[in-house]
Amino acid sequence: MEEKKIIKDGDEIIRVEGLEKSFGKLHVLKGIDQVIKKGEVVSVIGSSGGGKSTFLRCLNLLEKPDKGKIYFEGVDITDSKVDINLHRQKMGMVFQHFNVFPNLTVEGNITLAPTLLKKKTKEEAKALAAELLNRVGLYEKKDAYPQQLSGGQKQRLAIVRALAMEPDVMLFDEPTSALDPEMVGEVLTVIKELVKTGLTTVIVTHEMGFAREISDRVLFMDGGIIVEEGSPEQVFGDPQNERTKEFLSKVLY
Amino acid sequence: MSNVLENIVKVWTNYSHLFMQGLGITILLSIITVIMGSIFGFLLMLLRRSRFNIFRFRPLNFIAAAYIEIIRGTPMLLQLYFFYFLLPEMLPFLELSKLTCCVVAMCVNSAAYVSEVFRSGIEAVDKGQTEAARSLGLDSRQTMIHVVLPQAIKNVLPALCNEFIMMIKDTSLASTFFVGELMSVYRTVSGILFLTIEPLIVVGIIYFIVTFVLSKFVRLLEMKLTVA
Repeated sequence: MEEKKIIKDGDEIIRVEGLEKSFGKLHVLKGIDQVIKKGEVVSVIGSSGGGKSTFLRCLNLLEKPDKGKIYFEGVDITDSKVDINLHRQKMGMVFQHFNVFPNLTVEGNITLAPTLLKKKTKEEAKALAAELLNRVGLYEKKDAYPQQLSGGQKQRLAIVRALAMEPDVMLFDEPTSALDPEMVGEVLTVIKELVKTGLTTVIVTHEMGFAREISDRVLFMDGGIIVEEGSPEQVFGDPQNERTKEFLSKVLY
Repeated sequence: MSNVLENIVKVWTNYSHLFMQGLGITILLSIITVIMGSIFGFLLMLLRRSRFNIFRFRPLNFIAAAYIEIIRGTPMLLQLYFFYFLLPEMLPFLELSKLTCCVVAMCVNSAAYVSEVFRSGIEAVDKGQTEAARSLGLDSRQTMIHVVLPQAIKNVLPALCNEFIMMIKDTSLASTFFVGELMSVYRTVSGILFLTIEPLIVVGIIYFIVTFVLSKFVRLLEMKLTVA
């Protein structure tokens, strides 16, 4: 019953309240409040160690918050009574190091979760896999194993694997940081196409030009808090905070 | 010196069937031990990794760890004696044979080592694999069965084969109780012929050939697995 009250805006899909996280003595997140709306594309930028990835990983509870609450589609997923696995099915995640399953074929990577979690029959899952692979230009590789793929192809596969669960939100954790420079483009293109479909997206990235181009909103994180946020024009064009200015002056040459 | 060579040939030509029979029992004993030890060792590993706790104390974890430490910290010969005397005393109605007691002791021993093989095999699978599976909504059991274990098997298989090779040599300890394996055959033949060195050389050559061939096979398997 309480859950009903929490939804203050019908549009909001993720709400973060007072999020804190420490690793041992290291206080990584020092109180984050944030609302992400359905269909929004949010980039998180900032220097390494600022807590960007930890923030993202808290959203689907890969990291367990020490304090604060996270609501996903109106449900407090930090409540220990909530079955987080059900909610994770609707939050796709893409990792820096791809983390594709080497023991499965490309198709097997994509169909594993939908069939195992009874979202789809084997045939339906395969059909969807074929469609998604076509979209990212990997259809010919469907029977290959991940070790036969390049880094860019692996990351495209990882994106498709997450999409096969038909998520409501996609989380990208530095999706191009581990790629060879010549492969960054192909992955960014796929993400660009994806956000055009209106899928809610949160992306932690070091690609400033990309963040500026695709985002509705940019968050600049430093020292475990969100120091500044706003439209890409505001944050990149006219930053207000000293730390944002300093960071941007270093990365934008 | 030529005398020794002559004797070796004599030992082999007259008793080769006994040695082969002994080798058969040795291998059979090792296979049973490794299979049973693997099953038991796998369960032991599950206990070792369980998160079940009462006020942060993990009883299952503790029991498994204690078992592994005790078995690895005492000689196998002692364990053989222990079960050889203990089992018939505890379970007289079963009328266990000497061989069965030895098999039980060796399984108990092997399980401790194999469980650590399994554990390190699982822990060697990249943490990102688990995270990716969990992020898709798989629970920890599904993640283990469909993602982690298939990859862990690759890490584990060569080590399991090595355990088998170790066992072939370690079963010789069971000859203390004369269970008919290769080393027991040595004692028989040496008793009949009043010869010590020559049959020992024959038995040594047999052990060496078997373990050498098997370890070459493991090398091949390792290479296959790293390529695939």
